[in-house]
Amino acid sequence: MSRILLNRRNFLQISASAGALMLTPQLAFAQDAPVRGGRLVVAGDSEPANLNPAIVASNGVFFVASKVIEPLAEQSYEGKDGLSPRLATSWEGSADGLSVTFKLREGVTWHDGKPFTSADVAFSALEVWKKLQNLGRVVFKNLAAVDTPDEHTAIFRFSEPTPFQLIRNALPVVTSVIPRHVYEGTDIAKNPANQKLVGTGPFKFGEYKPGEYFLLKRNDAYWEKNEPLLDEIVYQFLPDRAAAGNALEAEEIQLAAFSAVPLADLGRISKSSGLKVYANGYEGLTYQLIVEINHRRKELADVKVRQAIAHAIDHDFVVKTIFLGFAKSSTGPVPAYDQTFYEPGTATYAFDPAKAEALLDEAGYKRGSDGNRFKLKLLPAPFFNETKQFGDYLRQALGKIGIDAVVVSNDTPAHLKAVYTDHDFDITVATPVYRSDPAISTTILFESGLPSGVPFSNQYGYANTEIDKLIKSAASELDGAKRAGLYKELQKKVADDLPLINVAEFSFITVARDTVRNVSDNPRWAVSNWSNVWLAK
Amino acid sequence: MSSFRIGAALLLLLVLMALFAPVIAPGDPLAISGQAMLRPFESEAHLLGTDRLGRDVFAGLVHGTRTTLLVAFFSAAAALIIGSIVGTISGFLGGVTDIVLMRITEAFQTVPGFLLALATISVTGPSVPTLVLAISLGNWTQAARVTRAEVLSLRERDFVAAARTLGMRPFEIAFREILPNAFGPTASLAAISVATAILIEAALSFLGFGDPNRVTWGSMIAEGRTVLRAAPYLSIVPGIALVVTVLSVHLIGRGLSRTERLQP
Repeated sequence: MSRILLNRRNFLQISASAGALMLTPQLAFAQDAPVRGGRLVVAGDSEPANLNPAIVASNGVFFVASKVIEPLAEQSYEGKDGLSPRLATSWEGSADGLSVTFKLREGVTWHDGKPFTSADVAFSALEVWKKLQNLGRVVFKNLAAVDTPDEHTAIFRFSEPTPFQLIRNALPVVTSVIPRHVYEGTDIAKNPANQKLVGTGPFKFGEYKPGEYFLLKRNDAYWEKNEPLLDEIVYQFLPDRAAAGNALEAEEIQLAAFSAVPLADLGRISKSSGLKVYANGYEGLTYQLIVEINHRRKELADVKVRQAIAHAIDHDFVVKTIFLGFAKSSTGPVPAYDQTFYEPGTATYAFDPAKAEALLDEAGYKRGSDGNRFKLKLLPAPFFNETKQFGDYLRQALGKIGIDAVVVSNDTPAHLKAVYTDHDFDITVATPVYRSDPAISTTILFESGLPSGVPFSNQYGYANTEIDKLIKSAASELDGAKRAGLYKELQKKVADDLPLINVAEFSFITVARDTVRNVSDNPRWAVSNWSNVWLAK
Repeated sequence: MSSFRIGAALLLLLVLMALFAPVIAPGDPLAISGQAMLRPFESEAHLLGTDRLGRDVFAGLVHGTRTTLLVAFFSAAAALIIGSIVGTISGFLGGVTDIVLMRITEAFQTVPGFLLALATISVTGPSVPTLVLAISLGNWTQAARVTRAEVLSLRERDFVAAARTLGMRPFEIAFREILPNAFGPTASLAAISVATAILIEAALSFLGFGDPNRVTWGSMIAEGRTVLRAAPYLSIVPGIALVVTVLSVHLIGRGLSRTERLQP
């Protein structure tokens, strides 16, 4: 441990000299030119068994792996279509929606010295993204072949018309390219390189000590000249996750992403000198707090009951008390920040317990002699503190309108099995992720006919032919504006019929020492490659 | 004896608090009753403050006594009853029965009681009856061993021989003659059992394996832990309650073990 933790005495010297520098304005100004070198110590998040982002496209994996393995393009605040190039330099879809052409970056080498070519992209797409990846299976469902006319061109061919808009929006998340020469002819899911990553990114995989740290080292042969700026990144696992705030203050770590610092501590932290709180940099991974509903329960199959539940929830309380202001009330399955797809004119359900009670009476569920109308089994997902707190709140809110909700708490595997495989729930609290396009991981929450066991999908026994039809036609609609129109109509339908209830949108908070520069400079910052991050001395 | 009295007085107070919880703090202790994160003594309506969601800490504390004492006493009682029955049969019958029962006891003893409880709860799901079962599973072995040792010496006594000549059946002798005499030392274990049960219950709720529809001190501490720096009182208040309860039980146990009749 002590080998990689910063020695406190050294640190005091550094900060003392930094303090001295502040006194001379010119020198302090000179600090703002990027400096090379240094080690960034970050609070570790999870320790995924499979660290390969081409197979497991999840934020826990990306947090570490995105520095080593790169996608074709990354999200950006300024770039065209919200993208900036990475391994691809340009991308273009054909008018018939049957092909997409990528021009690939030249002069890129893998960390083991072999050149990066279109063959790697073709292999990753056909063998990994389409077959093995949780999200790629949906996006590249109709991918038939990848042509490689030369080493730096890859043409994706689809068997059915596939909207280019969707492919483009999905690029940052689903297109992590892995080396063909390492994986070909092996059992890809069990390849040791899934743990000791080989990529093209700005950092090479250094070392993994379970329970202690991940170490990433500078890739001197990175394609972007003069980057990366850091020598090393260390993901330090803290013995107590709640201790991230203390570790930042004690200067044991320099950065904690994904709200590792509890929201309740942010007020105090933001006042302490030398620390900065960033609420941006997570727009590309918006989490949604929703109430999932089991339509197999006869009471819940009645839309009036679902509307009553929606009227019983005080969004204001959720945002202000549970999320302490670090969230937004939501109106539907697409977050308001997404200007392409968001539909503002949907039905809304204001907090109104009296109306909720009236709706329940109308539906024929009168209060019994004990004051209750019926009982529900409530399963709050154990993913975040806030999901558990919202579960406790929801139980109270439903109690007020005469629905007796009994909380059942499970650990993560048991929760996923109970909800998405066994359907042993009445309502839940869940947190699906909106990933820049409704087709990536949002429509799956509404579409019927999915096999049981698929997590974060419609396992609610909900089937609506109109909604299914909208989802189906949007999946093959090539015109971007028309496609957005279909999703807007979907949002209206969903708001009227309430197959599930969207309550709030939240993302995360990064806290970093003010010496860490270029933090949160893109909408997926925590899971992007950090090649331009540097440490002021 | 004075430590016994202090302990008994404290425990009596806690039992009264548990019995009269609905009077002392009316309503659902989990109800959101005010502004969130009020500090203790900041508001008259919430003497000990409120938690992250605005639930009254005092109400949680009072109602938490119920869960804690309920689970603790029932699981300690279950452990003592199972333990003394197993111990009596084992000691009285001897031979193969003794060997088999004692190996089973040892098998249970090799697994830490807390782990056993954790495993049981994760299989059965948390509720008061399953908590009682889970905690007593790891707690009965001590009582079994103490009772067996006592029975082994008692069964050679004259009054047992007398009972035999009177024609009493073996099980009658074991449970009507021997067990009541062997129970004294086992009873002095009760205090330790109760204290262990309270701590295991608190630890289980702390880890999120308690009944989520009831207030427990362990879950209050666990929820307070996430805001330990901003609102330390949320963990400290139930923590103190836990200390006082375990202390009172320990004081009683110490007092009991000094009385002559219960000397092993």
